[in-house]
Amino acid sequence: MPEIQNDLLKIADKTFHSRLMVGTGKFASPAVMAEALDASGAQIVTVALRRVDMDNPRDHILSAIDRNRYWLLPNTSGARNADEAIRLARLARAASGIHWVKLEVTPDPYYLMPDGTETLKAAELLVKEGFVVLPYIHADPILARRLQDVGCATVMPLASPIGSNQGLKMQTAIEIILEQATVPVVVDAGLGAPSHAAAAMELGADAVLVNTAIATAENPPAMARAFRLAVEAGRLGWQAGLAPQSKHASASSPLTGFLASTLKNSD
Amino acid sequence: MRLVINGKEKVFPTASAPATLSALLAQMELDEATVVAEIDGKIIPRPAFSSTPLKDGMHLELVRFVAGG
Repeated sequence: MPEIQNDLLKIADKTFHSRLMVGTGKFASPAVMAEALDASGAQIVTVALRRVDMDNPRDHILSAIDRNRYWLLPNTSGARNADEAIRLARLARAASGIHWVKLEVTPDPYYLMPDGTETLKAAELLVKEGFVVLPYIHADPILARRLQDVGCATVMPLASPIGSNQGLKMQTAIEIILEQATVPVVVDAGLGAPSHAAAAMELGADAVLVNTAIATAENPPAMARAFRLAVEAGRLGWQAGLAPQSKHASASSPLTGFLASTLKNSD
Repeated sequence: MRLVINGKEKVFPTASAPATLSALLAQMELDEATVVAEIDGKIIPRPAFSSTPLKDGMHLELVRFVAGG
């Protein structure tokens, strides 16, 4: 199946064979995180930026993430407006030399809904500064188009609130984005089960990003593997061409009966 | 010397006051390679840590990568 084997995810100037991105938050330990990342097959992993914990100066997450294996994607989580996001992006670039950023602007801590206006403002500036910008947004098709127009490398619409595990609540809006997008669409946030990830891929999503569902599962490495399989299955299902749905039944064998005539003959 | 580091005021007796950003990080047992620094709102490039002098009253932000989604 040559077309399926060559099905690579292309973001900016890089290609990836994995369509499952994984976040590094909420794991019980760096060792569990490393095992889960390995089982997930992910190539892109996200990290955040925070003030150094002066009581734990040696503690550093990058010692558990092999940068030769994983492409680090810093996020701007914590930013409440464009200025804060821009500052975090610049700090992340200074920290790592990486010019990719997952742009996240979430002023409300309760639902963590992204602020589209501030996201667009920050995206425009960061693209001009040479960043590869992957913006996290509500599943707003017009906003997705505007972000695309200012040069974002992907759009990342949420399925449901961050960490909520509610699944593809935003399915209808995501379908519209998928129909109209000319950049890769990564469904990010709220995917709580492997079946949710498979469903997103079956719609035609280019990738998904999962964190909480893996990190807080009872067995994170096993869950990571489950998500890996689900993303592959969903993608293959989409490529194979899903059969159409209908309101009524459609028998799988012809309904031309012979049973009635057989009974008559045996009288 | 008085510095504000990550929002907290720290006073260094003159005898042991770190002269440069590198010296401060060493005193705090922070691996330079893992830290980003801002002084008074300006990002300091890592190669310049050892040549960046610290002055009384400076506001420093020391930041690093942490787990996140």
